[in-house]
Amino acid sequence: MNIPIVLAVAAAFGLLRLRRANLLIWAVAWWAGIYVLLRFGFTAPIPSSVVSLYMGIVSIAILAYVSSSQERREEASRPLVRFMTEKRYTALLGATVVALPALAAANVYVQMSVPIEPPLFPRTVHPASPTEVTVHEKRIDLDAGDSPFRHLESSNPEEFRRHVENGRQVYYRNCVFCHGDDLSGNGMFAHALDPIPTNFTDQGTIPNLRETFLFWRVSKGGPGLPEEGGPWDTAMPAWEKFLKEEEMWEAILFLYDFTGHRPRAREEVARE
Amino acid sequence: MISRPIGPRWSLAAGLAVLIAAVCLALTGSARVTAQNVTEAQRESGRTLYLKYCAQCHGEKGDGEGYATPHLRPRPRDFTQGKFKVRTTPSGALPTHQDLVDIIRRGMPYTSMPAWPNLSGQEASDLAHFITTFSADFSKGENAPQPVPLPSAPNATRESIELGKKLYVESGCVRCHGTLGRGDGPSAPTLVDDWGHPIRAANLSQNWTFRGGSSREDIFRTMSTGFNGTPMPSFLEALTPEQRWAITDFIVSLSGGKGPGYTNLVVARHVQDPIDLKRGAASFESAPVARFPIIGQIMEPGRAFHPPATSVTVQAIYDAESIALLVRWHDMSAQKTGKNGPSLPVPPEEEEESAPGAPQETGQSPFGEAELPPAADPFAEEEAAPAVQPSEFSDAVAIQIPSQVPAGARKPYFIFGDAQNPVDLWFFDLARPDPLQFTGRGSADIAPDDTGELTGVASYDQGEWSVIFKRPLRAGSGASFSPGQFLPVAFSVWDGLSRERGNRRGLTAWYSLYVEPEVVPSAVGPMVKTASLILAIELAVIGWVRRRYGSRAGEESGGRRRQQAATSA
Repeated sequence: MNIPIVLAVAAAFGLLRLRRANLLIWAVAWWAGIYVLLRFGFTAPIPSSVVSLYMGIVSIAILAYVSSSQERREEASRPLVRFMTEKRYTALLGATVVALPALAAANVYVQMSVPIEPPLFPRTVHPASPTEVTVHEKRIDLDAGDSPFRHLESSNPEEFRRHVENGRQVYYRNCVFCHGDDLSGNGMFAHALDPIPTNFTDQGTIPNLRETFLFWRVSKGGPGLPEEGGPWDTAMPAWEKFLKEEEMWEAILFLYDFTGHRPRAREEVARE
Repeated sequence: MISRPIGPRWSLAAGLAVLIAAVCLALTGSARVTAQNVTEAQRESGRTLYLKYCAQCHGEKGDGEGYATPHLRPRPRDFTQGKFKVRTTPSGALPTHQDLVDIIRRGMPYTSMPAWPNLSGQEASDLAHFITTFSADFSKGENAPQPVPLPSAPNATRESIELGKKLYVESGCVRCHGTLGRGDGPSAPTLVDDWGHPIRAANLSQNWTFRGGSSREDIFRTMSTGFNGTPMPSFLEALTPEQRWAITDFIVSLSGGKGPGYTNLVVARHVQDPIDLKRGAASFESAPVARFPIIGQIMEPGRAFHPPATSVTVQAIYDAESIALLVRWHDMSAQKTGKNGPSLPVPPEEEEESAPGAPQETGQSPFGEAELPPAADPFAEEEAAPAVQPSEFSDAVAIQIPSQVPAGARKPYFIFGDAQNPVDLWFFDLARPDPLQFTGRGSADIAPDDTGELTGVASYDQGEWSVIFKRPLRAGSGASFSPGQFLPVAFSVWDGLSRERGNRRGLTAWYSLYVEPEVVPSAVGPMVKTASLILAIELAVIGWVRRRYGSRAGEESGGRRRQQAATSA
């Protein structure tokens, strides 16, 4: 809950209570108060269709209450009747008569001049990988396999650093143009790409993925994405056209090394 | 500033040191901190940052020969010579510490030097210090940089812009930057920097691409201090501040708006008169202008890492029978001879352009792989345009649309289509009189498919190509255009002078072409209708209430409710 909003609505109701407000004002206040609570009172936003639905119910409930007895009907209609009949309100009444159609017309105008937007097609950002890929005529098991260099991290750190350094060179000769110098996806070509290049420093990207998944994405690129991944727009090249297998693994080592992320571990599911 | 926990005495001492340093800075008027003021920790921090973020391009020795360098143009700065472009100091002088910090922070737009806004102030400062260690010039006391006076700006007026325009020609700006500032002056193709590498004159009509920033102050500073190591001179002595401000105002006026205004949609507008190619761009006056960013084709072999064009502008119109697209982009010299084609091969070694130590071929264009001998001073008193060796490749442009209107989200691959989803390429080799249509099923599978229905006209003026393509709405082959429809569209531009052809080119991703219906529904009708309806209800309600309760104050208000209309209207 958004506490300040809730308190503000409660305070407004308290004020109306103290001032012994007319039933009509109460009806309007309840309607507006509940709308404000639904729209702004919750930290997680409620879909506008749900808000409309609730407000429909609220409107019916308030109408039912206001018209439930002769007294209430009279109390609610009295100010309106006075507004429409008494001389001292004539100017205000005239302004209202003009303002309401003007507002409605303005609303129509705004709704009709929404700029033209091209159709939007959703895509899955990290679609499921196949179980294996063939790169340079070598089959690589994406489920059971692993980076051929990751084990060196503990067994031969010097050798490992050498591979990371190679990966760094691969990155800055090939990947930097889109994924950027600091790996945050803002390379010099990024402004012209949609979908935007992956930001590797983001917690939601490579830490959630296995190195074999990255290898699939690197080697097969946009053209190798399944249908739901939107391969027709994605500018990620199929790097197998340019790089050796080990160069791709090394570039992946570099991504984790530079950002300080760890690759997601393989799920230890029982395998037959 | 200092993150380690330290005792109060030390922090007092550190504070004093900072205070003294600040006073020194204030007194010298420059933000230069002498080497003695830099602690070992700061030096080490600068070194670590440099090796992590900078060395891949600027080289571990700071000589601009990092392993990424062969793919980069403009080339990364060589720090060993103390020549820095963007400075507040006189021509030839070293930059101030603050100048270096600023350029690290802001980057160089439309080059491979990114902005580093996420470095802390201390980190940027440490880096700036470390960069000065590559050149011995910085350690000499007599080289201490002194910023030039940069008086604040008077307001731009129509007179100042007019004066600036005159001075722009008289001062020789026009020789490199061109009459309309499109970087197409007669000397532009011959320009080289101090290292002998070709360099382009800034396109002054696109201020978002300016190195060193696009604000009036930035432009004034660039004109006052020049760009060291490049043909861009300092006008500090040659022109008074008023004159420099006038030229600044003129340059600002060349770009029009603030930014490029990139969009994702080009709207084809209906025109009553039949489209006549002879009228040229004049037919397109009613159509809105869309600008799309161009990037290098780096997805398929034969890559282009730095296409000269950074954007295309596109307009579209259609009449009862045909649709026409006007594509414009800036090019410093038109290559109207030679040949080009969407499938001309590019040998793989051309990707490694001017790699250090690579044998230099000769007799090629200055923006290709070879380097020209240093050019003559562009400000020398010579009138004949320097001869630029024509490239064997001509300029070219292509519009790409799917061969069939896509039913759903599935589009062809954005680089010349794929096997299942072909694209139509409307290709115009600008050495030829007419465009040709090709069908692309991927970069490696492009075949001519010309039915003679595609026509076009091209012209080059003042550094800008204007190319019009025209095709029947329903052609014998290819997608048909119908009102209310969105169609994917993409563009490719080849610069012959840079030896671009085939896969080596600048391109855009997919964008949308919207064929606007002939009659765009006007908002006036529905607005009047809604307003009248509401007014009628209001008057009816008020009339009814007044008749029912009389137009006096109602102390005995009757028993009918009448609140609904007012609250729910």
